[in-house]
Amino acid sequence: MRAKKYWLIPAAALVLGLAGCGADTPETEDEVRFVYARKASVTSFDLHNEITENNAFAIDQVFEPLVMFDEDGVVTDYLADSTISEDGLVYTFVLHDGLKFSNGQDVTAEDVKYSLERHLEVGGPLPIEADIQSIEAVDDRTVVITLNAAYTPFYSELANFSNGIVPKDLNGLSEEEFFAHPVGTGPFMVEEWDPSGDVTFVKNPYYWQEGKPVIDHLVFRYIEDDNQLINQLKAGDVDAADEISFANAKSIADSEDTYVIASEGWEIEELFFNTLDEHFSDVHVRRALALAINREEMMQALTFGYGVTARSVLPSALRYYAGDEIEVLDYDLDRAAEEMKLSAYPDGFQTTISIASGNYVRSQEAQIVVEAGKKIGIDITINAQEIAAFRQDFKNLNYDMMINSAIADYPDANSIFAFQVDPNGFSQCYWTNYKSEEAVALMDLGRTTPDGDERHAVYSSLQQILADDVPYIPFYYPERVHGVRANVAGLVYRPNGSPVFTSVTFK
Amino acid sequence: MNGKKMKPALKTGLCLMGLIVLLAVLGPLVYGYDPYAQDLTAVLLPPSGVHPFGTDQLGRDILARVLYAGRVDLSLMVLAEIAPFTIGVFLGMAAGWFGGKVDWVITLLIDTFIAFPYYLLVIVVAFVTGAGIRGIFITFMLVGWLLYARVAKGMTASLRSQEWVDAARLQGFSDLRIIVREILPNVLPQAVVVLMTDMTGLLVMIVMLGYLGIGISAPTPDWGTMIAEGQTMMTSAWWISVIPGIAVVLTGIALSFIGDGLADLWREDGF
Amino acid sequence: MDSIQTKRNTEEKKRFRHWVRGALFRSLLVIVFVMIAVFFLIRLVPGDPAVMVLGEHASEASLEALRERLGLNLSLPEQFVMFVKNVFLKADTGASIKYGVSSRSLVFKYAPVTLLLVLMATLITVAVSLVLAVLAATHRDQLFDHIIRVIPAFTQGMPVFWTGLLFILLFAVHLHWFPVGGLDKGMLRGLTLPAITVAFGQIPPLVRSLRERLLEVLEADFVVTLKAAGVPSRTILFKHVLRNAFVPSLMLFSVNLSYLIGGTLVVEQVFAVRGVGKLLFEAISNRDFPLVQAIALYCAVFVVVISLVTELIAHKADPRMNK
Repeated sequence: MRAKKYWLIPAAALVLGLAGCGADTPETEDEVRFVYARKASVTSFDLHNEITENNAFAIDQVFEPLVMFDEDGVVTDYLADSTISEDGLVYTFVLHDGLKFSNGQDVTAEDVKYSLERHLEVGGPLPIEADIQSIEAVDDRTVVITLNAAYTPFYSELANFSNGIVPKDLNGLSEEEFFAHPVGTGPFMVEEWDPSGDVTFVKNPYYWQEGKPVIDHLVFRYIEDDNQLINQLKAGDVDAADEISFANAKSIADSEDTYVIASEGWEIEELFFNTLDEHFSDVHVRRALALAINREEMMQALTFGYGVTARSVLPSALRYYAGDEIEVLDYDLDRAAEEMKLSAYPDGFQTTISIASGNYVRSQEAQIVVEAGKKIGIDITINAQEIAAFRQDFKNLNYDMMINSAIADYPDANSIFAFQVDPNGFSQCYWTNYKSEEAVALMDLGRTTPDGDERHAVYSSLQQILADDVPYIPFYYPERVHGVRANVAGLVYRPNGSPVFTSVTFK
Repeated sequence: MNGKKMKPALKTGLCLMGLIVLLAVLGPLVYGYDPYAQDLTAVLLPPSGVHPFGTDQLGRDILARVLYAGRVDLSLMVLAEIAPFTIGVFLGMAAGWFGGKVDWVITLLIDTFIAFPYYLLVIVVAFVTGAGIRGIFITFMLVGWLLYARVAKGMTASLRSQEWVDAARLQGFSDLRIIVREILPNVLPQAVVVLMTDMTGLLVMIVMLGYLGIGISAPTPDWGTMIAEGQTMMTSAWWISVIPGIAVVLTGIALSFIGDGLADLWREDGF
Repeated sequence: MDSIQTKRNTEEKKRFRHWVRGALFRSLLVIVFVMIAVFFLIRLVPGDPAVMVLGEHASEASLEALRERLGLNLSLPEQFVMFVKNVFLKADTGASIKYGVSSRSLVFKYAPVTLLLVLMATLITVAVSLVLAVLAATHRDQLFDHIIRVIPAFTQGMPVFWTGLLFILLFAVHLHWFPVGGLDKGMLRGLTLPAITVAFGQIPPLVRSLRERLLEVLEADFVVTLKAAGVPSRTILFKHVLRNAFVPSLMLFSVNLSYLIGGTLVVEQVFAVRGVGKLLFEAISNRDFPLVQAIALYCAVFVVVISLVTELIAHKADPRMNK
């Protein structure tokens, strides 16, 4: 019996000791702290090497590019005033007066030159696609970028977070050191960062937008569980939540304590065919399946109306969307049956659809496709794989068909087409191996055609070809639904889902 | 006295289990709805006359799915227990009977498995095999035998040390005969009692795997996946997750009563 | 007389030393086995750690460079030898591939959360179970006993994330007694509800086995004799019965701790508490081999140490039970 007591002493000490560790550092009362819940942690601030949202939206708080798009997706001058030469070859940027980094140091043309050149050198997942001849720092505040060939998307492309401005030579620090405590022109600086947990930002005292940001501290709180996210929002433990599930949107919208912000986005839920597959190399099979899926009903059932049924591979929120002009394979079982008859497999066949496991919406979409397949004699089995294995397989074109999503990184149609039409590009037509010379020619033409009706015509034809050939079936464009506490005002979102906190205040 | 009182427990348990099995086997035949049939215009309907337990997000009838899932889960529950039960009882009896080095090695194996983080095994197996039934079989074969082995070992060792075993040996009975005729009949009841609890454990594990996104793959109806999928809608469409949840809890109750009842019955009978 | 006493003492000490040596050897073997198992098991999972770090857009050259830096280009046996060598010679489990820092520091950073959670849950479990079991055993076959025996049947089929969610809705969202999740309102407060959730699932089977054990003791000859001798039943219960139930409950406590240490993932997730369970899940998802190995190793060491300590206490409390 005596042993029990001995054992209790270290146990009690441990409990007390550990409890002590958890104590919060007190904060001065008049400092305003805004807590934003997110479903993934921030693992890196290296803007030239990142693409995923968990990092991109954090990088957006710290670094800013020369030009930027607003809530409506319109790109405008941001850190500099620009002029573009008539022939579309020479871009001149004059930095705004008094622009400073968050450490107080002036932003110079050399910093801009270094930033873009580092990006060109690194390449990375969001490379600069324009064919750049030179980047010159003409004086302290003027940068001249010369292209070898006109490239209409270039201006929009510069709005990518990966074209943010960093100090020249990273202020002499190593990459590791610099990106552990990144210095940029953005509204916030990193105060405390746990790559497997939360990030706390503190406001940039040198921020160029007068009187902004209003809040002093911004916390990205990592909460993965959906229920936990909703309940913390309801209890007021967090001030806003990134991306709440559609199923919970209504209860957040209906509550007196909270409201939702839903924003039309640049995202597409999409089914991809492996066109090397014996069955799906047959265009009639692809067309048949597209005709057999009721995309309107799918969108309504899965998004609770927070979405738009897709009629093109280009999201409806982007310019040059032609879904209303082109002819689309809308739900029609009779026509689907006819297409199957035209195919090499009139009696149907067995195949699989790959999805990443643990993704509830994808699983629902896949089940709808399975039912649609049944109606035209295609027997589909769902192959739910762990995400890394799933990616590895589809990149090796080791799949029959799969469901995934695509998103425009910057507000230009080319952002989508470069990824989904170019068979020689990095993504091999989003790993479908779809090859259409006609489509590629139109994609190239679209890059050099100046904005206007002509470019519209080019992209309309391109969208029509894709709608006829069906290398992928765009399902719907989901909106993004964010939950916000009733006492919060001024939170806005860019169409790629990136939150802007500069005007956030508490009522 | 105790045994007599608990016999109603056994009876209740068996009746409840019988009812559940009956529903799972005959239910889908009698009940008209196809568990796979979707109706995207009738999603998330609350329980009503048309759909007694409502519909899910794809407009499928929950009752039809719960009934059909009973077949999937109950058969999986029984089939996935065969390997761990057999392996566990065998290894446990071997350790208990032979003692010495055999015992040392088997106990070491048990200790290793206990020291190995449970979820590491579960997740790795699921990642390697992909979500689905195969993963559940392998995972449970790897972790399930421990409990049986410990019970069988303890029981065998205590029987081994009793005098009648030596007497039987002196009479010229072979080890195998003693094990099969005398030890096994004593070990099995104990193991079966454990089996009853463990089957509930297996059901709960399937539910957990569903929560982690590595459970039985869609569209096969399964209680675990249904519960996990519905849990984000607990406040808006409770029936998706609560109805299959009740099925799991009821099965757990039935198994628990049967286990208790059997334990009392056998305790009364002999040892 | 003195010499006999001394002789007996030395013999006992000898036997004890022999036992300790054997137990230590076994423990070491268990740890080595766990190391072997985790090393090969995690490498069975498809997916390249270098791709997980550098992303899908990295060039083959940079991937190759990273693999070389991480030693992933070596053959499996070579990698294994390195792993074992570093662990035993330098007590080093390597740097985490994903986070770049030493895997040990990551484990130590998140371990306090999980340890405290497990400890709190176990204390609640054992305390509540003991009380309920004593009540059930002393009120045998009365209403109270029946209630205590029927409850497990209901709770056994309830998955942890369900109970957790229910507790959150009731105690945090409605009653505001506890935070919904996370630890920013203090570790002890933040972990109370998760610990209760874990305990909720652990108590029923424990009560059941403790009750059986207590009944056995209550029916034992010496208790009957004591009763006949007129010793008050309260004294019997506290002085004799509970003492006899101590060793088995200690064993349960230890098994419980071992079981929980690697099994808090779901609770951590439901309550948005970042502990070792979550770290492990992410490490596997990221194919962060050194981190997975480190977590498995430290968990194994923890389990082994706990079971050694309990065996030692049990040994002291009841020398008969170890030969």
